[in-house]
Amino acid sequence: MNTCGIDPAHLRNRATEIKRETAEAMAYSLSLGLLYLGLLCGNGLVSARSELFTPDPSRGPHFTGCRSREQETFRCWWSAGIFQNLTEPGALRVFYQTKNALLSEWQECPDYTHTVKNECYFNKTFTHIWTSYCIQLRSVRENITYDETCFTVENIVHPDPPIGLNWTLLNVSRSGLHFDILVRWAPPPSADVQMGWMSLVYQVQYRVRNASHWEMLDLESGTQQSIYGLHTDKEYEVRVRCKMSAFDNFGEFSDSILVHVAQIPSKESTFPTMLVLIFGVIGLVILLVLLIFSQQQRLMVIFLPPIPAPKIKGIDPELLKNGKLDQLNSLLSSQDMYKPDFYHEDPWVEFIQLDLDDPPEKNESSDTQHRLGLSRSGSSHVLNFKSDDDSGRASCYDPEIPNPEDLASLLPGHSGRGDNHPLVSRSISSIPDLGVQQTSEVEETPIQTQPAVPSWVNMDFYAQVSDFTPAGGVVLSPGQLNSSPEKKKEEENEKKIQFQLVSDGAYTSENTARQLSTEVPPSPGPEQGYQTFPTQAVEGNLWNGEYLVSTSDSQIPYLLPEAPPAPILPPVSDYTVVQEVDAQHSLLLNPPSLQPAICPHSPNKHLPAMPTMPMGYLTPDLLGNLTP
Amino acid sequence: MGLSVPAVAVLLVALLCLDPHGRVGSAPICAHGPSGCHVPSLADLFDRVIQHSARMHSLSNDLHSEFEQYFLPSKNHIGKIYRKCHTSNILTPNGKENAQKLAREELTEVILKLLMAWRDPLFQLHQSMAHQQDFNSFSSNKALEMGDMAHELRKGVEKVAEKMRVLGMLGNSVTGLSAAEAMLPLSDSGEAMSDYELLYCFRRDSNKVQNYLKILKCRIVPEHDC
Repeated sequence: MNTCGIDPAHLRNRATEIKRETAEAMAYSLSLGLLYLGLLCGNGLVSARSELFTPDPSRGPHFTGCRSREQETFRCWWSAGIFQNLTEPGALRVFYQTKNALLSEWQECPDYTHTVKNECYFNKTFTHIWTSYCIQLRSVRENITYDETCFTVENIVHPDPPIGLNWTLLNVSRSGLHFDILVRWAPPPSADVQMGWMSLVYQVQYRVRNASHWEMLDLESGTQQSIYGLHTDKEYEVRVRCKMSAFDNFGEFSDSILVHVAQIPSKESTFPTMLVLIFGVIGLVILLVLLIFSQQQRLMVIFLPPIPAPKIKGIDPELLKNGKLDQLNSLLSSQDMYKPDFYHEDPWVEFIQLDLDDPPEKNESSDTQHRLGLSRSGSSHVLNFKSDDDSGRASCYDPEIPNPEDLASLLPGHSGRGDNHPLVSRSISSIPDLGVQQTSEVEETPIQTQPAVPSWVNMDFYAQVSDFTPAGGVVLSPGQLNSSPEKKKEEENEKKIQFQLVSDGAYTSENTARQLSTEVPPSPGPEQGYQTFPTQAVEGNLWNGEYLVSTSDSQIPYLLPEAPPAPILPPVSDYTVVQEVDAQHSLLLNPPSLQPAICPHSPNKHLPAMPTMPMGYLTPDLLGNLTP
Repeated sequence: MGLSVPAVAVLLVALLCLDPHGRVGSAPICAHGPSGCHVPSLADLFDRVIQHSARMHSLSNDLHSEFEQYFLPSKNHIGKIYRKCHTSNILTPNGKENAQKLAREELTEVILKLLMAWRDPLFQLHQSMAHQQDFNSFSSNKALEMGDMAHELRKGVEKVAEKMRVLGMLGNSVTGLSAAEAMLPLSDSGEAMSDYELLYCFRRDSNKVQNYLKILKCRIVPEHDC
């Protein structure tokens, strides 16, 4: 390193110290200077004089800055600092050295600007780009180097501000509240951008007038930029500055221009839009209503979907509606849920009759009400001892047992109950179960009801109920046959019947009821084995009309066959045949053959020999035997 | 699909070749000479090369600032310690007028010398940056890209020189650079330069190359205000 006659070590030490100090000082002063410069530029003053850099008064003489405007020349400024005795010109001198390959020596500033104080100007001849310069501030008289700094010229380039800043209106928004402008400028004339010696990028800034904060836009390499979203009726200031691309030093800002667009009052613009909006909404509502009404059905389906009809898997519901019985049977039999075998196993199940339920007249009244006769319908009532279907009973039907009071209330003695008394019917299917059940004290008589079973007449397995025991048992007459086997049978039957009567909880028959109701004395002749009922008892007041009512028709329960009811005690046969059961579940009996009432044998003639069976019951297989 | 992929590709290439305005992007593939293809003019070549050099310089500036920011925070931007670069031996014009006064051939040669001189050092720089954990991968990628750019730029400038020679603008004094021209980046004391020094030097040299190319273009291709 060239020493120029000075002790190198001392100089080196001094230089490093000074360098450190000046480095810090330079940073501080430069930042302050730039700030001051910025403020001054806002007021539109000319740029880059040495006075603009705020010298540090507490320091000694130092450089306040070096700048190049166009990368062809540069200037440096210094300040005397606190050393006021050095302020006269010539006291401090600048020496520079170019650190390139060639060994160069310290040379003095080529041009001390006369017009500006403390400025050293390097013209084109002395400006070497891409060359490191080191400059020193010396007091020659004292031979002291107060300050030194090194740089390369391209790193101190601060371009001049762009010129010719102007703006044009691009558009105004529909509402008239916002507008966009296009700002244009020209590059600084000192910069040689045509050749590309300096490639400049620009930065536009704007703010509302007298606001504190400037809005900065992105760097622009062209010479125009759009500003969007400005408010009308507000005054804006716009300015621009530039720097060399790939370098960091911005030049000063250009002069600010004012942008202002007056707001055009356009009330009529809002009015049509409001009208359009209102009409649009109304039209939409009308359309929606029309749509809903036209598509009502579909919408109903969508919003309130219909409950699906019950569907049996594998069975077409249409077939169920319209199909023939054979088809249905075959179809149903093919289903697993229907087990015909079941029927064969339990024959009684097959004949479960739901006729106890009288749906139109039931009216969801309780069994008690039925028994009490509170229901007013005139049609045939059935003493419905059957409770709800889903009572969880066994497969066989298992009717309830009415209370004796209830049953007693059915008696005509309790005539206050009303006109209608429920009648009793029972089905065969219920019998076996009933037979094994213990019932309460009920006076009942099983009645065998066989729909359309004609020829029973000759059966021998009936017994006449002759009397009721107080305990509720039914005493059967031994029968008129007087034949021992029959008698035995009858006795057996009697016992069975008694048993069954006792055990039959749910049913009572007309006869039973009649027997219960009437104060009829025991039969005129026990050997007759029957009792006759006063016809009055039969009349409609007490009993429901259809059901075995009209004794005039000589419809008499088979147990106690009677003669035509017109005479009070008509000669009646012991047994009669139940012809059929009509629609109202009444037994239609054959008119009794005019046999002498005391002809005990006649029934016997008609009764074929029958196997022993429970009184009053006929099983289907037996039925098969019976039918001719 | 009616057309298969190769057919579409051929069609596309044909369109590009036939399109007279197909100057955008890279040069079209012309296997059979200038028939149907548009050869870019010298001005276009210069523009591309200048753009490329600008990008390279920008990259070098970014890397240098990054390095300075993280490793040398105490430096202010005015006081730069002098560093001797390995390319300081190459005589380069130090100003606009000097560069304008220089002959085209010499200017071209200077450019090529500079670019050649940086071939190996840039590779070395990338290697050392990649190995150091102080640099993130982004920086080392930039260094790699910079090296590639320098290489491509050199190739581009050679093509430009070739074109100029063909057009008769250059004399035959421009010689190919021999391997001896490649210099090792050694500092004054003979030690290998540090990464920061390399970055500093390359930033300066890339700026030189960019400006020289601009001056050269202005002299070769006559334009207004040039």
